[in-house]
Amino acid sequence: MLRARHVSRSYGDEAVFRDLSIEVGEGEVVAVIGPSGVGKTTLLRTLALALEPDEGAVTLDGTDVWAVDEAERLALRRRVGMVFQEASLFDGTVARNVEYGLRVRRSWSDRLASVFRLNGAPDAVEESLEVVGLSDKTAQPADSLSGGEAQRVSFARALAYEPDVLLLDEPTSDLDPRNTAVIEEAIGEARARGIGVVVATHDMHQAERVADRVAVLLDDGITEMGPTEKIFEDPDSERTRKFISGELVY
Amino acid sequence: MPFESTAQLAPALLDVSFRDGYVGSVIAVSLYVSLTAVALSTLVSVPAAVAIGLADFPGKGFVKSVVNTGMGFPSVVVGLVVLFAVSNQGPLGSLELIFTREAMIMSQFVLATPPITAITLAAVSGVDDGVRDAARVLGGTRVDVALVVIKEARYGIATAVLAGFGRAVSEVGSVLIVGGNITSADGISKTRTLTTAIQLEARQGQYETAMVLGAVLVALVLTVNAIVVRFGDRGVAG
Repeated sequence: MLRARHVSRSYGDEAVFRDLSIEVGEGEVVAVIGPSGVGKTTLLRTLALALEPDEGAVTLDGTDVWAVDEAERLALRRRVGMVFQEASLFDGTVARNVEYGLRVRRSWSDRLASVFRLNGAPDAVEESLEVVGLSDKTAQPADSLSGGEAQRVSFARALAYEPDVLLLDEPTSDLDPRNTAVIEEAIGEARARGIGVVVATHDMHQAERVADRVAVLLDDGITEMGPTEKIFEDPDSERTRKFISGELVY
Repeated sequence: MPFESTAQLAPALLDVSFRDGYVGSVIAVSLYVSLTAVALSTLVSVPAAVAIGLADFPGKGFVKSVVNTGMGFPSVVVGLVVLFAVSNQGPLGSLELIFTREAMIMSQFVLATPPITAITLAAVSGVDDGVRDAARVLGGTRVDVALVVIKEARYGIATAVLAGFGRAVSEVGSVLIVGGNITSADGISKTRTLTTAIQLEARQGQYETAMVLGAVLVALVLTVNAIVVRFGDRGVAG
């Protein structure tokens, strides 16, 4: 289980969030909803162990990530995957992109073999591309893909090395309905594999469709977190209710 | 007027000092000195630029300014500094490098390093932050992230290396000071490069030889520029 406990993070004097707690378990999908600019990306980067919180702790299966040495932190970080709002694919083929996470976990001699394709594309690459419906694009250059395809490859790239937790930062904000549906199906597939998923989105309908639990991030903290149905139909917090009904304008 | 007509120039060009291997030796020395200097500079400049580009530290802007300022360093000043360093009284005096190709390599190394570092730094800084972030969150170590950035910036880095070569091979002031523009008794170049040979031949009134050497140098620089343009186009396209 990935858990953030009482974490705070600020840029200069400006607090992004304070005393925030959130967790995701095995095979669970948690949606973080909130208006643009509220700090969802910063929260996800903190959960991705890429950003150290100013206060509080981030733990993975009980291990405080920032209390261990760099080698151990790298091992923990490699159990978490993240997909950004922009696909940010590397120069190269689709297969080389999807294989990246697997490649950096290998010895240097194995990596060299993969450069010359001595051992072929790993099955995990094919399987991940199948999940996002792009198994026919393996050899295609990444820069020739459409925006939607690129984002799907980005998802497959994070899925290929079977992380324990997958963090998705507005993964469908620039996508058409068809590509959005593929990504949402892939989220379901990740859940079925036992991967914990945190998806940050400002699309409340998407949160309703994919999440088991929803955390509402407003101002500088989570105002409410609970089962999806409860958050959307009977929230405890008045601010949550106003945000969901669209009365709270940012 | 050095030539009465272009008709006179053509046979002169054919007859010019290709005899006895003079021109060939001058070209060989030029290429040896410049390629070695640029290769050594690349080994230092590219890792340094990548390290500076990927790190966040106080004074990074100042470091970039110093590197950029280095691009405008007067070559004769570099020559003087290297001459002092390798002279008998200098810190490297015991190595007896004065008026050797090694001293010329040192001066060209100093001249090529700022452009290679600055252009590489610009190329590395131009790589999308998202690509770096992706490499990191996908489990890459610092070395893995650096390799991804180098791959993304490879056309810019190639341009940097070729620009460094362009500066080195067309330089005259410092190699004249530290190399001495020397040939052996049989006329074969020891430390004479294309640029210093052109300067000497023109001063002695050997305009035909100077013109041939100039044409060779221009051809070399044009070749380098053509490669730069080709890399640049591929970078835009890719």
